[in-house]
Amino acid sequence: MLEIDGLHAGYGEIEVLRGVDLVVNAGEIVALIGANGAGKSTLAKTLAGLLPTRLGRISFEGKPIEQVGAPQRIALGMAHVPEGRQIVGGLSVRDNLRLGAYAQRHRLAQREIAQRISAVCQQFPALDHRLGEPAGNLSGGQQQMLAIARAMMAQPRLLVLDEPSLGLAPTLVAGIFRMIVGLRNRGIAILLSEQNARMSLAIADRAYVMEMGRITLQGTGKELLDSSDVAGRYLGVGQKIAASATDERRMRLARGLKEILHG
Amino acid sequence: MNQFVQIVVGGLLQGGVFAIIALGISLVYRVTGIVNLAQGGFCILGALLLYSLQLDLGWPTALAFLAAVILTAAFGVALGAATFVPALARLPTSSMLMLTAGLLTFIGGLTLIVWGSQPYIVPPFSGEQPIDVAGILVPSQGPWIAVVAIIIIGGIWYLIARTDIGTALIASAENPTAARFMGVNVARLTLFSFGLAAAIGAVSGAVVAPIMSLQFDAGGFFTNAGFIAVALGGMASLPGAIAGGLFLGVAEQLAAGYVSSLFANGLALALLLVTLLWRPQGFFGGSRRRRDVRDEQRVYRSVVRFSGRGTVVAAAVLVVFLAALPYLVGGALLSSLVITLILFIAVLGLDVAMGYAGQVSLGQSGFMALGGYAAAILATNYDVAPLLGAAAGMIVSLFAALLLSVVTMRLQGAYLALATLTFSLLIDSLTVGLVDVTGGPSGLVGIPSLALGPLSLGTPRAMYFFVLALIVLLIAALAGGMRSSFGRALYAIRADQTAAAALGINVPRYKVAAFAISAVLASLSGSLYAFDFHFLSPEMVSTPRSFEMIAMLIVGGEGTLIGGLPGAALITLLPTVFQPLALYKTLAEGAILVLAFQYLPDGLLGGARQLGRWAMAR
Repeated sequence: MLEIDGLHAGYGEIEVLRGVDLVVNAGEIVALIGANGAGKSTLAKTLAGLLPTRLGRISFEGKPIEQVGAPQRIALGMAHVPEGRQIVGGLSVRDNLRLGAYAQRHRLAQREIAQRISAVCQQFPALDHRLGEPAGNLSGGQQQMLAIARAMMAQPRLLVLDEPSLGLAPTLVAGIFRMIVGLRNRGIAILLSEQNARMSLAIADRAYVMEMGRITLQGTGKELLDSSDVAGRYLGVGQKIAASATDERRMRLARGLKEILHG
Repeated sequence: MNQFVQIVVGGLLQGGVFAIIALGISLVYRVTGIVNLAQGGFCILGALLLYSLQLDLGWPTALAFLAAVILTAAFGVALGAATFVPALARLPTSSMLMLTAGLLTFIGGLTLIVWGSQPYIVPPFSGEQPIDVAGILVPSQGPWIAVVAIIIIGGIWYLIARTDIGTALIASAENPTAARFMGVNVARLTLFSFGLAAAIGAVSGAVVAPIMSLQFDAGGFFTNAGFIAVALGGMASLPGAIAGGLFLGVAEQLAAGYVSSLFANGLALALLLVTLLWRPQGFFGGSRRRRDVRDEQRVYRSVVRFSGRGTVVAAAVLVVFLAALPYLVGGALLSSLVITLILFIAVLGLDVAMGYAGQVSLGQSGFMALGGYAAAILATNYDVAPLLGAAAGMIVSLFAALLLSVVTMRLQGAYLALATLTFSLLIDSLTVGLVDVTGGPSGLVGIPSLALGPLSLGTPRAMYFFVLALIVLLIAALAGGMRSSFGRALYAIRADQTAAAALGINVPRYKVAAFAISAVLASLSGSLYAFDFHFLSPEMVSTPRSFEMIAMLIVGGEGTLIGGLPGAALITLLPTVFQPLALYKTLAEGAILVLAFQYLPDGLLGGARQLGRWAMAR
């Protein structure tokens, strides 16, 4: 469904993505994990068409889309839940939802937009009776649901979520992740980039690890969850790691610190 | 009673025009968070285009009106695409404000070249005969103004509240990132709103043209009225813009009718200062606070810093060069150099407030006027020694600055600029209005030369050396101050007020201190200016001077202390050197300001430094 091949992108003189290869097949959840600054959000922006593709190819359902503008990509069937929710606090919940269908406004009658709003409200009942309120009045968890609901307004076949767990309490995160699994079960392919590696690997069909703008590891969610490499770096003190592995982890931690301190 | 109603009707008509201008400003503010000072330029452009099409080409009024609006809108879109929209992504709000001030000057210069400086009068759309409504005489243009105002208000309301474009406009304003992710072309919408505002400006200019005389520099009047109306009502509130405009119109007409027309403007300004103190968000600002997402996202450029032995050598060379200048040039050029140095003192003050502490001040001309008039009046009428007079002026300015700080303390960004602008405009109307004290528009004459005890500084050369010595002392003192914890605190405030406060910096106190320094230096500059010219009139120290000083600072380079010198020299000397090109002076000033913002955000000094580095790297 989505094929990324040798993708390079960045800001000004700084190249953040340095050859990313990644595939999302129809109907699967693909997790992308990595530390701060690995390039996950840059990838999300490049996929959305907000950053130009410098090198490499992106194709969606077989069509190359590097030269396709942001609104057209949404119209093709790829929607986004940006990092930090990015709802528009001063607009009502309803207007935020309408914004999700903005890219398709020429093709949709008012009636169809209203239908879509009531459809997403069935999936996200918390939003239903607050449609007229300013979105800024919603709680953090509700805002995240609004951000997902807003993306669903475009009726996408691929949903790109950037750090949906950011700044949410663990119980709320679990709810969001259940919702993501629910979306997958309804046939929507999901690219989920997350720092919360344990939970995202647990629900992912396949997963990639991104470091310094490159994919360094890939496999099924379970494989990566079991891999000591991932465990040491992204899961902290993992339950699978035996006491004997602790020394190795300590050394790796020291190496990592050294890397940070000395560039 | 009849007279009162008559005045109110006149006020409502004037207010209707203010309201339309305010709507244009409010529209752009909603989408970009920027107060577009160029709005008044589009008004005057629309009005003058209407004049030319109607009277020079003989087109029927309706057609000429329509064409004037379309042409102005097209011009607005072109100007916005070339300057406003690309700059929006790179410049902080305060610089954007000045960029639009540059655009206003640029449009003024353009109209000066095309239409000259004489006033134009457009005939009313439907005859001269006023309409008699139950004994109240309404000017024949009245219904036109009312109808146009209602159509525009209704149209904008529909666009914002009822269409997807309106929703996207608000989203672009509040959270451009979110809007982009939803497929909103933020740049295009911004350009759309800028062009629409230009069209609205043209409409308001064209419809009001028959009841006022039009001149190339009337754009400033339109902008001020619209700006004040928007601020009264609440920047981002459309009903607020309308209410503010109507209120301002009625208040001004009542003041003119019952008090004095000279103070009508001053009264409105005092009203605005009180409003800003009482409700900084305006009548209709509401409790919903607008989070300025753009400002958080914007990266503030590092300011050019000079340090090391190279700087000392360069400074010594510069001082020697400046000291040698009077022996190299003379006549008109030397006089212009003296003025350059005098103005530079005020720019130096502005640099402390704006370049270091990040507080945009449009009050410099007001403080120059205070210092200039205080010193001139004391020296001329009371035989006070000139330097003592200047000192008295500085004390007056210091108190005025502290008083104004009560209002400005809590304000930031556009509101701060607005409050200081209001102060300058208020001083303008006082210098013109208090005829017994200031001599009114014709000014004060017979101001003595500056003297140090028995030593008179009557020649340009003597004045030059005195001011130069003063500047060397000032820069030495300020350079020391800016390198101390004081300067670092100011710089922290510029970068992030909240973070500075969290570090334990007493933000209000440092802001007031920076503001006071800038006021005192402006006052000193004003006094010297009066002594140098032996004459002082309101227009020499009026509000455009404030904008000019910001241009000097930006062109030279903010936060460098010395940057204002090349800036002041460029803007002061250009017209002297190119006397025959005086017609193009306004256009050039506007263009220089806009280009400097776009291509030299660090000013001439920063640009030179970059060029040097680039050459070294080769």
